Amino acid sequence: MWINMGPQHPMTHGLWNLRVKIEGEIVKEIDPEMGFLHRGIEKISEDRHYNEVITLMDRTCYVAGIAWEHLYIQAAEQALHVTPPARALWIRVLCEEMQRIASHVMWYAAFVQDLGLMSPFLYGMRDRDLLLDHFQSFTGGRLTYEYMRVGGVRNDLPPGTTDRMRKTLDWLMDRFVEYDRLCMGSEIFRKRCDDLGVLKANDCIAYGVTGPMLRSAGVRRDLRKDRPYAIYDQVDFDMAIADSADVTGRYLVRMEEMRQSVRILRQVVDWLDKHPGPVMAPNLPRWLGAPYAPVGREGYLLKRNYPKGVGLSAIEEPHGEANAYVVNEGGEHPYRVKFRSPVYVNLSAAHKYLVGYHVADIPPIMGSVDVCVGEVDR
Amino acid sequence: MSAPAKAIEAPPTVAIPSAGVAEVTAPAVPFLEIEGLRSQQFIPAAKEALTSLLAERAHGKLIRPVFNWAGRNSLFPLHWGLACCAIEFASAFGARWDAERFGVVPRSSPRQCDLLIVNGTVTWKVAHKLITLYEQMPEPKWVIAMGNCATGGGPFRTAYSVVPGVDKLVPVDVYIAGCPPRPEALLDGILKLEELIRERQE
Amino acid sequence: MGTDGGTGRMTSEEISGRLKEKLPEAVLAFEELPGTAGRVRFRAESALEVFRVVRSDLGYDHLSMVGGIDWVEEREVIYLVWSDLRRNYLLLSTRIAARDAHIESATPVWPSANWHEREAWEMVDIRFDHHPDLRHLLMPDGYAFHPLLRSFKLHEPEELEVKVRRV
Repeated sequence: MWINMGPQHPMTHGLWNLRVKIEGEIVKEIDPEMGFLHRGIEKISEDRHYNEVITLMDRTCYVAGIAWEHLYIQAAEQALHVTPPARALWIRVLCEEMQRIASHVMWYAAFVQDLGLMSPFLYGMRDRDLLLDHFQSFTGGRLTYEYMRVGGVRNDLPPGTTDRMRKTLDWLMDRFVEYDRLCMGSEIFRKRCDDLGVLKANDCIAYGVTGPMLRSAGVRRDLRKDRPYAIYDQVDFDMAIADSADVTGRYLVRMEEMRQSVRILRQVVDWLDKHPGPVMAPNLPRWLGAPYAPVGREGYLLKRNYPKGVGLSAIEEPHGEANAYVVNEGGEHPYRVKFRSPVYVNLSAAHKYLVGYHVADIPPIMGSVDVCVGEVDR
Repeated sequence: MSAPAKAIEAPPTVAIPSAGVAEVTAPAVPFLEIEGLRSQQFIPAAKEALTSLLAERAHGKLIRPVFNWAGRNSLFPLHWGLACCAIEFASAFGARWDAERFGVVPRSSPRQCDLLIVNGTVTWKVAHKLITLYEQMPEPKWVIAMGNCATGGGPFRTAYSVVPGVDKLVPVDVYIAGCPPRPEALLDGILKLEELIRERQE
Repeated sequence: MGTDGGTGRMTSEEISGRLKEKLPEAVLAFEELPGTAGRVRFRAESALEVFRVVRSDLGYDHLSMVGGIDWVEEREVIYLVWSDLRRNYLLLSTRIAARDAHIESATPVWPSANWHEREAWEMVDIRFDHHPDLRHLLMPDGYAFHPLLRSFKLHEPEELEVKVRRV
């Protein structure tokens, strides 16, 4: 019997449809149906100024908006031959790591609620709001920031941000202990999640699965370590690894990643205190400084004279490895923007970790994947 | 109508030959009589009285305000996350904003809901599913278009797959601007809807 | 660029040498691309051989993405692959004629190509031969257009309404 779970279903955490073929209680076959949130971001980007695409990036992955800005901006800078100043790179890493904690806390809130525990949702949302307050203080937005620009970031941090950040980080470290006590200390949680949704390392690699799912299978791959972008080679942190390859493993990896993010953030705020400086690259062409489309002779010269290029970037997004490929063929619009969403690939391997389990196991397994449909459908 | 009347007449004819049987059936007769009365006379009379009462006075002055008051203070939105605004929708039910103090409790089944919060971009692929969900909700029902995408397409207005405004599909009562609106704005929209419901009653 | 440093330049010469030795006819060019080990331009007819060599001999076992780019007269297919051994990316790219654009599917070599190729077919109209399940992924079934082609133009929704009313 085929049943539809979605597009309106408490399991989906977004807008997609999981078609499940069951025999009794056992899942025999699955067929994810995507595209309910396909908004044509890659197509719209072709009509937008390079800086206007950033607006779309926030909405692509709405729980990790600034990480996607970071992804796009790296590729765009490579395609446009722009080098940002050092302080901008550190601020970007600050944003990305804060976003990683916020995204994982949001995941924790939603995932544990799927298992039937109600209070962690309130705890998670409370702690996430503290991080969003910091974002609000220097970007102005809670969810959609539009903070990064080609050549740097929009504005410097307001005075006192680093001190407030340190307080928040101390507070968060204590909360992570609470989270662990609530989940790993609960026998019900362990019985529900152990040996569930197992995806072994060789299947992960064959199906392109990345992020916490891959690291929970014991594979040591983290682009921040393996291919250090921005300033990740200058900070000290460890890769979060588990070897059980199940739901508990993914939970442990994400929890450890949050602690490591706090560790990175402490080093970043120390660096930012000591090194003031510009946050935008000097001598940017006028048309790149702001969303502004030169017309007439200036536009003609711009299209003709500005060097063409191709940009490719890869970052370790909270959900996994994301890639962006930007083609610059002259002019103020990118010729083509192509993204690789980690959740998209993790979902395409869903038959590997869902088939053979019970129907009641689907919510915890899909919860542990951390689905964000915005970036899957784009 | 005729079946209970026969039942009243029947017991005496059967009960006469033996006193013992008559004793048994005797208490049954008043009961049946009352039953018959109730079904024949009382219920239609009460129904008539009630309907006239409801139609003339009570419905307008007593029942409707009670329903209206109860309905507007316990709006049950559908638990359906479409896009970015769904995250702010979730934040509104978190610890800081706590929308449940306004009686707003998200339910997972459209049959239990009277409020559809369209929290995100609606694509043509999901359009007929949204209409189905709206039709499954019992009357009276309301729709809030949360955010710019649901209001008019937002930043994806020109895209080939996006419905430019959910009001093309279902009637919208309250529009909330913002991309995404803050949780305060969502709460404000819900309070505005409560006012709207109160006004409609008058 | 400076932001994407840290990739092994030593290995890129090794890779180009190995590729030219194994596939002298299939590989057209090996170019520098910052942030990766390089960009391999190959002939579309021998796609499957290139994939096999890149995966088995060079050790690029993780396929990150498959994308299509429309260059009006011809279409480009890019494959981004990652090696856990070498810790770098390699970009494979090939150009095919826009008319009846088709290329061999990479699913036998990298199973993760499945959804990427479905998307590339749906968006840029590149047919993948011997793909196990080539149907619509993001758009509804029966959608007749390929939105990421350059000939597909976006317009304001009002124009759409006016057109509908006139008809």
